Amino acid sequence: MPHDWPGRFRKRAETLSYDRQNPAFYALLVALIFMAVGPIFLMFINSFKLDVDIIGGTTGLLFLPTIQNYETALCDVLWYEPEHLDFCSLKFGGAFINSLIIALISTLLTLVIGCMAAYALVRFRFMGRDTVSLTTLMVRMVPPAVLLVPVFGLWNNEFCLDRDGLIGGAIRDTFGGRGDVCLAGTHSGIILIYVAMNLPFVIWILQSFIVQVPRSLEEAARVDGAGPFQVFFKIVLPLIKPGLAAAAIFTFRIAWNEYLLASALSDRNTKTVPILIVNNMSEFNVEWGVIMATGMLLAIPPIIFTLFASRQIITGMTAGAVKG
Amino acid sequence: MPQIRLDNLVKRYGAVQVLHGIELDMAENEFTVLVGPSGCGKSTTLRMIAGLETVSDGEIYIDGRPVKDLDPKDRGLAMVFQDYALYPHMDVASNISFALRLQKRPRAEIDAKVREVAELVGLSDFLARKPGALSGGQRQRVAMARALAKDSEIFLFDEPLSNLDAKLRGQMRAELAIMRQRVQKNMIYVTHDQIEAMTLADRIVVMNGGYIQQQGTPEELFKRPANKFVAGFLGSPPMNFLGATLVREDDMLMAQGAAFKVAIPADTAARLPTSQTSVILGVRPSDLNYNSEAPDAEAFDLRVKVSEYVGAQSVLLCECGSTDITVELKSETPIALGETLRFALRPEGIHLFDPKTEMAL
Repeated sequence: MPHDWPGRFRKRAETLSYDRQNPAFYALLVALIFMAVGPIFLMFINSFKLDVDIIGGTTGLLFLPTIQNYETALCDVLWYEPEHLDFCSLKFGGAFINSLIIALISTLLTLVIGCMAAYALVRFRFMGRDTVSLTTLMVRMVPPAVLLVPVFGLWNNEFCLDRDGLIGGAIRDTFGGRGDVCLAGTHSGIILIYVAMNLPFVIWILQSFIVQVPRSLEEAARVDGAGPFQVFFKIVLPLIKPGLAAAAIFTFRIAWNEYLLASALSDRNTKTVPILIVNNMSEFNVEWGVIMATGMLLAIPPIIFTLFASRQIITGMTAGAVKG
Repeated sequence: MPQIRLDNLVKRYGAVQVLHGIELDMAENEFTVLVGPSGCGKSTTLRMIAGLETVSDGEIYIDGRPVKDLDPKDRGLAMVFQDYALYPHMDVASNISFALRLQKRPRAEIDAKVREVAELVGLSDFLARKPGALSGGQRQRVAMARALAKDSEIFLFDEPLSNLDAKLRGQMRAELAIMRQRVQKNMIYVTHDQIEAMTLADRIVVMNGGYIQQQGTPEELFKRPANKFVAGFLGSPPMNFLGATLVREDDMLMAQGAAFKVAIPADTAARLPTSQTSVILGVRPSDLNYNSEAPDAEAFDLRVKVSEYVGAQSVLLCECGSTDITVELKSETPIALGETLRFALRPEGIHLFDPKTEMAL
């Protein structure tokens, strides 16, 4: 007896209508792509131009490409001395390592604290839970600029170790310098404020992922003999991996690009790449070529990080766990 | 070998009390089924035994040892969940061996156990699959295998078949019965499906409204229900209830209703208190047989309203006065809707209940 499969025919009709789209739709797509990729393309082109060429016209495509800008930017890590430089003033390598340390450690700390806080807020019943859950997000609404002045004051004056004290003295003896040992100007000081800044949003994202983990999975693990920490690390954590990856991308990107707080809280040895870029602007000269080249270099790590982290985002992680 | 004893178990959620002093003794290797409608407290009872719900009052003894304050992992039991609760990020083998790996058993022992259990439930070819790539019945088997692998003395089942479609449920029920013959352990099984309860149980505990209504073997409960609730809950199609008054005619006690008058057997009549004037008459559809020559005192005249054809049998919804009665009839019997048929009542099929207390008389 022949069977009738209306579903199959409907599917074919859908694939047919796929290539009958309005041309305006494509025009819109092209415009959007141009807006997104255009600036990056311009930056890329101009990073290979001399400042003379850039001043002559940023959009010009006829020029003699040079890697001179990159040589200037990377002068402290190159194995040779570029001919056009008398003195290597830009310390890109150092700033790059500072950026990496600050962004990676603050991301890691945010995720570790964030996932535990989110789990507690979702699964445990305690007094003031809803208030805490709500206020965490409200903290995020405070603009970083508002934090800047009080944090600068605190980091410079309050969170200090006396230079005559045991630990402060030891640090001074090891690393040298004058005055008390303060949070200001250290990696830890910047990491701390980034963690505080990103934590509310990460908690908020992860809460929505943890809610989706079926409670019966945790109960099954408990009956199977898992303690509370084993339940968290062996069952919950693997299941919210997509959420962790999304939160990691978000946190890393913010920490990597952040300028305002870093500019106030870093010193000569701890400044990050965004601060370094701005140092190329002075009252006498704006070195556009070097700014473009450093900008290109700045863009690479987040791209690599995002590609790596987004591989963890697999939708439907909990598929097949429970039915109904 | 464990016996489980629930001693005056009470569960409260704030001011709401959902379990009112459950007293239950489960013997060694007994298959106990807790059955009842939704919200009757059966799942709560099971989860309290598992340690997933706190005990408000009373005590749970396993093997004479009070376990109320122990963690689930320290109670030595295995549980199959209603929604399977498989770990989606682990393959079938890892799901089965999760508990063993937590116990840090030797690798070889774990592998052997996984193979043995997978063989038992017929999953040997699927060990490398993730739960997402399995069908409902296979997931159910994984959940079963995971419980079996633990070597626990007590197995808890929380409505394990309720998510399967009807055909698969029947098949899994049979497999469960076969597994039951091989694995002689204490099993506590929660279901709302009275067919599962009847077919699997050594002992059925019928619950309603946070109270145990009756417990005993399936046969006891079916033949001698303690009250109207148990009588109506067990059996399919369910028992018919008819209001009747008791009248005495020529030394025979008769139950008289709007459109019937049937004799009550002498031994049942002897048990009735003399003050009893009205009763609820309970009759199972299976105790009513189509018989046009039956004597008046042992028969109902029923007008057919609806006939539901279910294969060899048809289920007829009939009218008897103002109440509806369900009866079963062989499908080949020629009948017409609206026709009045005579059904003979088997004397042992008469159940009488007190209209006020609803207790069996």
